[in-house]
Amino acid sequence: MSLSLAVSSTGPRAQAGGFLGLLGVAGRRVFFALAVVAILLIFIGPVAILLLTSVRPPSGVYYIWRGWEFTLDNFAEVLAQPVVLHSMWNSFVLSSIATVASLGVTVGSGYMLSRFTGPIQRSWFGIIYVFRTVPYISWVLPLYLVTTNLGIYDTYLGLLLPHVAVHVCFFSWIMKGFFDSISPSMEHAALIDGCTRWGAFRRVALPSAMPGIAALAILSWLWTWNEFLFGLILTAQRTPVITVTMAQFVTETGTEWHLMSATAVLAMLPALLITIFGQKYVVRGLRM
Amino acid sequence: MSMAPVSAAHRPRLLGEKERFMLLLIAPAALVLLSFEVVPILIGMNASFRDWSLVNPQKTWVGLRHYVEVFTDPVFLKIVLPNTFILMVSSVTLSLVFGLALAHLLKRQFFGRILIQTVVLLPLTIAPVITATMMRWSFNDQFGILTNLLAVIGVPQVGWLSERWPSFIIIILTDVWIWTPWFTIILLAALQGLPKEPYEAAQIDAASKWGIFTHVTLPLLRPVIAVCVLIRAIDAFRTFDQVWVLTGGGPARSTEVFSVYAYVEAFVNLDLGRGAAAAGAGAIIMLAVGLGLYAIVNRAMEVSR
Repeated sequence: MSLSLAVSSTGPRAQAGGFLGLLGVAGRRVFFALAVVAILLIFIGPVAILLLTSVRPPSGVYYIWRGWEFTLDNFAEVLAQPVVLHSMWNSFVLSSIATVASLGVTVGSGYMLSRFTGPIQRSWFGIIYVFRTVPYISWVLPLYLVTTNLGIYDTYLGLLLPHVAVHVCFFSWIMKGFFDSISPSMEHAALIDGCTRWGAFRRVALPSAMPGIAALAILSWLWTWNEFLFGLILTAQRTPVITVTMAQFVTETGTEWHLMSATAVLAMLPALLITIFGQKYVVRGLRM
Repeated sequence: MSMAPVSAAHRPRLLGEKERFMLLLIAPAALVLLSFEVVPILIGMNASFRDWSLVNPQKTWVGLRHYVEVFTDPVFLKIVLPNTFILMVSSVTLSLVFGLALAHLLKRQFFGRILIQTVVLLPLTIAPVITATMMRWSFNDQFGILTNLLAVIGVPQVGWLSERWPSFIIIILTDVWIWTPWFTIILLAALQGLPKEPYEAAQIDAASKWGIFTHVTLPLLRPVIAVCVLIRAIDAFRTFDQVWVLTGGGPARSTEVFSVYAYVEAFVNLDLGRGAAAAGAGAIIMLAVGLGLYAIVNRAMEVSR
């Protein structure tokens, strides 16, 4: 009786599920649990190695899986270096301003791409796409010359503007998607009611697109915080950023893994907090 | 009657009220794009035709010499280009497959789902440089935890980061680790927004799960997948951080990809002209690839409509 019940409850699914179906209910549970464990291991693994390395004393940093000496001295040591806090502050300011500026600059562009047709729209979309394909290295190399000539090399401005520029094409494209998913009927109604085009954009379309823009804001902040190539080429001692600072714990005698890991953990924390608290908005915003 | 065309000519249609509004909307973006992307690209093109080594103040015009050098450089042709495309194709394919699988898993409600989702999003949080640094540490010849773990489970010990293919596979897997969450999060959002009706119909037809996936889910997701792949493929072509940190292009330039090649020419060999030519060559190749991909993706979108 119980057997027939079990069979009938798994029956249709067993036919349906291919090799998973052959495993039966218990087997499928085990398979599912194993998959979850594997996922956790794969995604936590590198972070765990990082954390473990960062709390090992210099003597225990090699063979990190042996011995039980742990210490927070590495953090104290890197925090005592002014460049670390300075870079974190720079990265924070830069990511925040670059995010606001990038969104501000591209929201109109995305709206235009979504709501209008004709030669201007088509040409702008073409321009956006073509420049999106240009590899960063092709314009970061000469940007070094541009920022040097403008006298903004190794300053906030000299990093901020390229960071906004790198987002222009991609964000315009994504913003177009946000506006595409909103029906333009409300804006038409507002225009008929005597609202200006600008008013229809600002007061009707923009609020509806807010969830998407919020998601993009979080991603933008993370991308700027994590950016490396721009910082590597466009900064020196005056305006260091955290990713470059972290990568520089390499001396003639080799890499100081314990200090590098501690810096990496510090660099990871703000981004981690933002991801944990922001993931809900990201998933919701991208669904539009 | 004859007045109408004249007055129309006085007020050209191109700058009607609507067109002015369109231009106003794109003005800020266009301005930033022009001054910090277009202008540098032009300067870069100029530099690529000159002997712009940092020690030579003359900046002699050398025409296409740098381009000829780049396109006849065996390192560029036989190593850098294949590497770049192998990385692009394998990284995009693998992250798409894993991302799709994870999105499917996270679509369901189960105990601990939020925890798994947070963990899966970890790579999005961590700078690629940090990830690559940790992978370099984990595969350290002597002290790397993964080197030792692999030795324990019986994988023949090789110099993971001192031989071409092992280190290139590590680069690919690191890239997949970094970018899988990007596919996961977008595909998860797309999955959650799919209409319910096709699934109910499929259930009535007693379709198998795999059948539902291939015949209902995949076609519905096709536009999203197409755009995701397009965006990622373009980005994968210019991968720099991971390769630079993991191997620096070594051993003996065997894992260099195109961005690293251009960087090395410009800032290590200190020949900005040659570096700009390499970057320009890559940009031309990428433009061709990008336009090709765009045509393919456009077709994929039309088919699914």
